Amino acid sequence: MPQPDAAPMIEVRNLQKSYGDFAVLRNVSFSVARGEKIVILGPSGSGKSTLIRCFNRIEPHDAGEIVIDGERIDQTTELTRLRCTVGMVFQNYNLFPHLSVLENCALPPRVVKKAGREAAEDLAMNFLHRVNIADQARKYPIQLSGGQQQRVAIARALCMQPSVMLFDEPTAALDPEAVSGVADIMASLSADGMTTLCVTHEMGFARRIADRIIFMDQGRILESAPPEDFFTRPRTDRARDFLSQMIRY
Amino acid sequence: MPGPLSVRTFLWVCLMLGLLAAPGARAQAPSFAAGGLTVCTNPTLPPMTFVNGTDSSDLAGVDIDVSRRLGAYWHVPVSFVSMDFVGLFPSLEAGRCGMVISGVVRQPAREVKFDAVPYQPTSLVVVARAGTAPIAAMADLSGKVLAVQSGTSYAARVAQENVALAAAGRPPIEIQQYPTEDQVVQQVLIGRAFAFVSQDVELAFRQTQLNGKVSVIFQPDYPEFRNFAIYIRKDARDRAALAGAIAALRDSGQMTPILQRWRIIPGGGAQESTARAASGFNWRTFASALVSPAFARGAAITLAMAVLSHLTAIGLAVPMAMVMNGRDGLLKSAIRAYVALFRAAPTLLQLLFVWNALPQFLPVFREAWFTPFLAAWISLSINEAAYQVEINRAALQAIDPGQALAGDALGMTRMQVYRHVIFPQALRIALPSTINEFISLIKTTSLASVISLQELLAVTQINVARTFEFTEYYAAALIYYLLIVFFFLWVQKRIERRFAWADRLKATSHAAA
Ligand SMILES: Nc1ncnc2c1ncn2[C@@H]1O[C@H](COP(=O)(O)OP(=O)(O)O)[C@@H](O)[C@H]1O
Ligand SMILES: [Mg+2]
Repeated sequence: MPQPDAAPMIEVRNLQKSYGDFAVLRNVSFSVARGEKIVILGPSGSGKSTLIRCFNRIEPHDAGEIVIDGERIDQTTELTRLRCTVGMVFQNYNLFPHLSVLENCALPPRVVKKAGREAAEDLAMNFLHRVNIADQARKYPIQLSGGQQQRVAIARALCMQPSVMLFDEPTAALDPEAVSGVADIMASLSADGMTTLCVTHEMGFARRIADRIIFMDQGRILESAPPEDFFTRPRTDRARDFLSQMIRY
Repeated sequence: MPGPLSVRTFLWVCLMLGLLAAPGARAQAPSFAAGGLTVCTNPTLPPMTFVNGTDSSDLAGVDIDVSRRLGAYWHVPVSFVSMDFVGLFPSLEAGRCGMVISGVVRQPAREVKFDAVPYQPTSLVVVARAGTAPIAAMADLSGKVLAVQSGTSYAARVAQENVALAAAGRPPIEIQQYPTEDQVVQQVLIGRAFAFVSQDVELAFRQTQLNGKVSVIFQPDYPEFRNFAIYIRKDARDRAALAGAIAALRDSGQMTPILQRWRIIPGGGAQESTARAASGFNWRTFASALVSPAFARGAAITLAMAVLSHLTAIGLAVPMAMVMNGRDGLLKSAIRAYVALFRAAPTLLQLLFVWNALPQFLPVFREAWFTPFLAAWISLSINEAAYQVEINRAALQAIDPGQALAGDALGMTRMQVYRHVIFPQALRIALPSTINEFISLIKTTSLASVISLQELLAVTQINVARTFEFTEYYAAALIYYLLIVFFFLWVQKRIERRFAWADRLKATSHAAA
């Protein structure tokens, strides 16, 4: 397990968010150490996606505090800079279909960081190698399998050279065989010391990559524990119910 | 230019002497001709007003000569604006021209809104194919098809006959209206209409073109069709001045050479060049029309108008479509109202509104900078944008919201997301309907002839009116339209090649290439 730095990478205090009358996040507080891998579990609708979307401010929060790498996230935050620090990968990859794999990865550094075309493409090729898909660089997303597309999406996010990566169910749309490829990449990111927060429903996957499991239900964090503890000795009834349902799958 | 210089100089001298002799009757220009006489005419009615050559800006005929004499009489320069018949009176009302002279008969109904000053006697004639037996009364046309020019008062007059026929329990005269006089005549030549209604002076001129293919079968004595008149905006003093000027031209003998020149009265010089309608397809006419500067210019105007209007429409429609896909608000309701209004109103009406009604609210639009081209460009752009908004909105809506989300998460600004992520994908979806719209816009530009834009179809009709070789000129226009449309279909194919990414098979062959 990596040694956490003194200052946490992410600090969340009393985070609240509602859609109209419906409270999605209720007083969520936790912190994430530098290099730590957090897996967020919880039933559907418990607010997991909303929580991680607050970190790159794709969803603005209503109350409470988020501090990332020492900076408070609020309406004055410069979004471009924040999103260069915090990368995100989606369940449906969301690759740009009109761009080749290489262009998908090179476009963001070019337009956001104003990198030159050549520098951006070098960077892109570098990360495509990292996710083992450099040989597909000239193809269009439609020509790739789901697992390949998700690896490209990871490479694209990495091209912005973020300090934190957010994954929202990155394997939910994949075949079981493809899941392990994505898991390998996430494990290798861990080795590089990337701070990651990952929402998933894959228990094996969670167990493999997590330093710590956060279990959410109805907008609250009910448990926060190392995976061995969480999976073998869940402390709440809700977590026990959740795990028993998961295992039945 | 009418007449040799010496004749004009002579007339000038006469005029000056006349003025000296009668100091009370000074030829001061009436208010509608102050600073210059602008004349609206529809040059498709020889020998009154038409184009006597391939240059469609070179007008000729009785009306043109009379206008020039009036200008000389008042010492003001004369300029002509040619347009579709339907546009004449709205233009006069809007102050786009000082007077309308276009072989229009004097008509009490028109005098409610305008002042009319007669300048040439005429008479209505009913004309059928040569060899048709004459009829004894208009009632004999009961149940037959009669072709008339739309926008003229003939249709209304014939409708009165139908009231009488209905009272007598007889079938009505079936009235068919066509936009130009030559098309009216064609209906009789091809046998669709039994007869057409025209004026005797015009028919006399047409006979030479038609090789005697038609003949007068009846001459109804409608008192309200006895004179051609010049129309001006209502003003008793202007009307008196115009009537005085016409009388002065007649008294000084200036009308006679005009009428002789155009063979309305015998004498004078030979008929000026008038092509005769040959039987069969005249390949030489067709070929020379095809390469004539007039047709090339008309096609260029059509093309430029369609391209400029559509580009402007797209420029207007893209931001509007973005608003339409956003949150509800005042702006969105306003755009919705705009789209409904401009899709509901006929394009022709919008053109006439921009050209003729706008100057009544805002006099700046009466000035010379507001050309027919500009007016057509503005109205066609605004009209087309109303259709294009819907195409663009649907295309933007078809893009997965996850695309914008991914762009946001990568730190792109809203504009960067649109520019690099959404627009390139929306273009693929919008392209086929946009090209369809464009192709129909190319054809819609022909409506702009009502506001005097000399586009391809206007040029065609002016040439048909002159020569009656309609098949040849229509064929030449068709070639131009086909070339333009096929060019853009080819452009569409070229652009679509760049959308291989959307199709797995094509993407593969594209990558392999
Ligand atoms: N834009 C929205 N408007 C209203 N309700 C929303 C919106 N997004 C999410 N929700 C609701 O918030 C709750 C939490 O959603 P989400 O964070 O996506 O849950 P999870 O990812 O844990 O399944 C769900 O009940 C969902 O219906
Ligand atoms: Mg979710």
